Amino acid sequence: MPATSSSFRDGRGFDRMLVWITLTFLIVFSAFPLAYNILMSFQSVDLFTLASFDRPFVGLDNYKEVLTNSATDIIVKNTIVFVLLSVAAQLVIGFGLALFFQQRFPGATWLRGLFLAGWILPGLVVGAVWSWILAGDFGVLNWVLQTLGLTDDKIFWLSDPTNSLYSVIIANVWIGVPFNMILLSVGLSAIPDDVYEAAELDGAGRVWRFLTITLPLMRAQLGAVISLGIIFTLQQFDLFAALTQGGPSNGSNVMQYWSWELSFQDYRIGQGSAVSVLMIIVVIGVAAIYVRSTRHEHAA
Amino acid sequence: MLRDERLSQYALLIVALALVAAYLFPVYWMYVTALKTGNEITAWPPTFWPANPDFAAAEVWQRMQMATYLKNSAIIAVGVTVIVVVLGTGCGYALARVRSRWMDVVLFSILMMQVLPSSLMITPIFVAFSQVGLLDYPRSAVILAQAAKVLPFYVVLTRATFVQVPKELEEAALVDGNTRIGAFLSINVPLARNGILVAALLIFLQSLGEYVYSRSLIQNRALQPATVGLQSFMGPNTSDWQGVMTYAAIYVTPIILFFVLLQRQIVSGLTSGALK
Amino acid sequence: MTAQIEIENIDKHYGAYHALKNVDVRIPQGQFVALVGPSGCGKSTLLRTIAGLETITSGKIRIAGKDVSAAPPRARDLAMVFQSYALYPHKTVAGNMMYALRLKGMTRKQARARAEEIAQITGLDGLMDRYPRELSGGQRQRVAMGRAIVREPQAFLFDEPLSNLDAALRVHMRAEIRKLHDRIGATSVYVTHDQIEAMTMADHVVVMRAGVIEQQGAPLDLYDHPVNRFVAGFIGSPAMNFIPGQIAADGRHVVLDLPGAPRLTFDGRRPADEPVTVGLRPEHLVPGAGDNMLTLPVAVVERTGSSSYVLSDTTPPVMIAASDRLQGVERGDIQVTIKPSLVHLFSQTDDLALSAR
Repeated sequence: MPATSSSFRDGRGFDRMLVWITLTFLIVFSAFPLAYNILMSFQSVDLFTLASFDRPFVGLDNYKEVLTNSATDIIVKNTIVFVLLSVAAQLVIGFGLALFFQQRFPGATWLRGLFLAGWILPGLVVGAVWSWILAGDFGVLNWVLQTLGLTDDKIFWLSDPTNSLYSVIIANVWIGVPFNMILLSVGLSAIPDDVYEAAELDGAGRVWRFLTITLPLMRAQLGAVISLGIIFTLQQFDLFAALTQGGPSNGSNVMQYWSWELSFQDYRIGQGSAVSVLMIIVVIGVAAIYVRSTRHEHAA
Repeated sequence: MLRDERLSQYALLIVALALVAAYLFPVYWMYVTALKTGNEITAWPPTFWPANPDFAAAEVWQRMQMATYLKNSAIIAVGVTVIVVVLGTGCGYALARVRSRWMDVVLFSILMMQVLPSSLMITPIFVAFSQVGLLDYPRSAVILAQAAKVLPFYVVLTRATFVQVPKELEEAALVDGNTRIGAFLSINVPLARNGILVAALLIFLQSLGEYVYSRSLIQNRALQPATVGLQSFMGPNTSDWQGVMTYAAIYVTPIILFFVLLQRQIVSGLTSGALK
Repeated sequence: MTAQIEIENIDKHYGAYHALKNVDVRIPQGQFVALVGPSGCGKSTLLRTIAGLETITSGKIRIAGKDVSAAPPRARDLAMVFQSYALYPHKTVAGNMMYALRLKGMTRKQARARAEEIAQITGLDGLMDRYPRELSGGQRQRVAMGRAIVREPQAFLFDEPLSNLDAALRVHMRAEIRKLHDRIGATSVYVTHDQIEAMTMADHVVVMRAGVIEQQGAPLDLYDHPVNRFVAGFIGSPAMNFIPGQIAADGRHVVLDLPGAPRLTFDGRRPADEPVTVGLRPEHLVPGAGDNMLTLPVAVVERTGSSSYVLSDTTPPVMIAASDRLQGVERGDIQVTIKPSLVHLFSQTDDLALSAR
């Protein structure tokens, strides 16, 4: 009974088989579309050539058109603002909450867990609820702001192009805060108490302890949360669909929504592919940096 | 001393409750709005407790044909979960057990496929699916696309679970006379059961709220899931906020119940998957 | 019926790492063999190749005469007791014991009956419906044993099964495993890093280091005739003293490199004028005056009641183990004698024992 023939039953062949089952599916439904996407970005693809396997190649035309489009500037700028503001706000609020819930009081862990409810709800439902909260005429947020004296007039969050991006950011931060908080909490609990006690004996105050112990020891965790925050933020689509549809006049449009719009509303599918390829490069780049850095942490 | 500590603990608890309340206000606002009549919804200042609670659930359910939408959502979520569990559990196990350069490459590729945004993948998926005729079965098309989207996440989560099952248990089973697959099914899977269930639940909940693929691949209203239904209900300028919030409440209440019941497991499953 | 195991010149590579080097061990039917050595010496790897949990790069393994070198674990019909016990946490004691029997095709009823029978022998009756987490360390150890015995395998493999127990229980289980072996008469291979376990339990001891078998044989044979300095130092407790020395011109004496340069006579002739390492077991240094006498300054005296240990104030220090209380020895000098036949000599170039000619 040679080993090779029964390798699936008894040997390494079993592990290989299990991995290949998953990989085959992912190659067909993930890797292939990825490659096809790149191909299409160099082709002229519209409703008429959609079904054809022999579409004309247009070189870099799709990329040229996309990059010289009059809307490109504002959409790129929106994407950067959307990512930076969302990630920064999620991080600051999430870290603050994590530090608060790190204190010992009855029910701390359970109450902290409740925050994840916001993360688990369908993005479209969150968008619908926020679109009602942010409504210009009768939205409760305007009432709160007026009552607090922060604004005199009602703000038209969704229909004013200068505000619409921020309304999506607000909802996106709401979704992202719990994830940030939970991951940072895990990192905080991993710091042993005696390190703080030693610092206290050395005469370090609260702020000093945070700056010299918490922050440096949380470096890996903060890196992970920031990378994952960027990745999740670039995946956000549902909120745009539910809140602003990228409008008005592209005021809240971002690359990942624009790519979909080009393909499915303007039917300029080749250009949709081009935008998609550009953004996928960005996302994969961030993810690769993140994965590589965590691998190094493990090796060290 | 002790009294002071007790007191400060309660002070912290009160602050914590306030924070939770502030954060969960949108969820509360959804339920409250669902109970308000048209007049009360446009009341200024807004009321924080419905003056005349009005249940519109039955009416919205009927008018919006929610049964169809929710059924489609359930079909998609179940289909995705079944595919992902069947195809992904073994891979999570193999990646947890075998250490080699090869497996590192596989894990890296899987992590990379995990981050691909649906809204960017939908363009090639739409074109390819329409070319091979898959769009004639739109729900199946969504199931396949969404399964490919969440399969990497599931593999990463279950891998973290299988890492915790001692290797000797499986070796004992092999020496006791079992095959690799026999040991996997009778030892590893039962011992990793909780992690597998939590991962499957997360996949199920995520797929229950899937939007991009359904919106883009399913044209027939009768086959669309609840997210797409909600979107078309809202329209560009809805004023029927009671209806929309009632719809949303009916849709997410089961999700919230699931979450409250399994909060602890979900939190621990999430953190283990995201950090390892 | 248990079987003989033949391990013929096997090699094992993990990539560039050579874990087992030309290992050759013959285990007759019914023998209790201990594989012993420091951690990383390859003893566990060797055991796992016998079980089929590791593949071998070259060589052959035969069980009952049949070549199983490439066979999977399940085709070898061996039972293994793991260091962590590896009890299936989701099965009861009975479930753990019945697992292999059910795989062999026994009905649930037959398997249960057989498990009950073995539970009687191993003292597990009454615990059959408990889960492993509800058992004490010693009870878990018994379940691991019972799970192996119930199978009636061709041989038993033990991977440091006692290292998780406390000292008292370990001594007790040591005797119990040996008694069980005598009763069943099964071929057993036992891995341990504890040379006392190996010496007290085994018929045949295999000493390994860095993937190589340094020496194998009967326990007392290894104690009396270690083939090299490593085995001499590894077997025996407290460990053998090693003192540099020089063989005298007559080939019958050795001059120790100690203050006062004492001379020791040994049996037989050795190559003259050769620098050597002299091995003296602490228990062979007998306090008192006489022939072959060493006079050593005392640094420390430790008395345990049953025996006493003296450490000399020299470089290297010399350990003396005596079975009396050595009343009056505190500081100053102690005189000890040694029998010529108990002097071990090792070459300083290759650490091999210099045998008499």
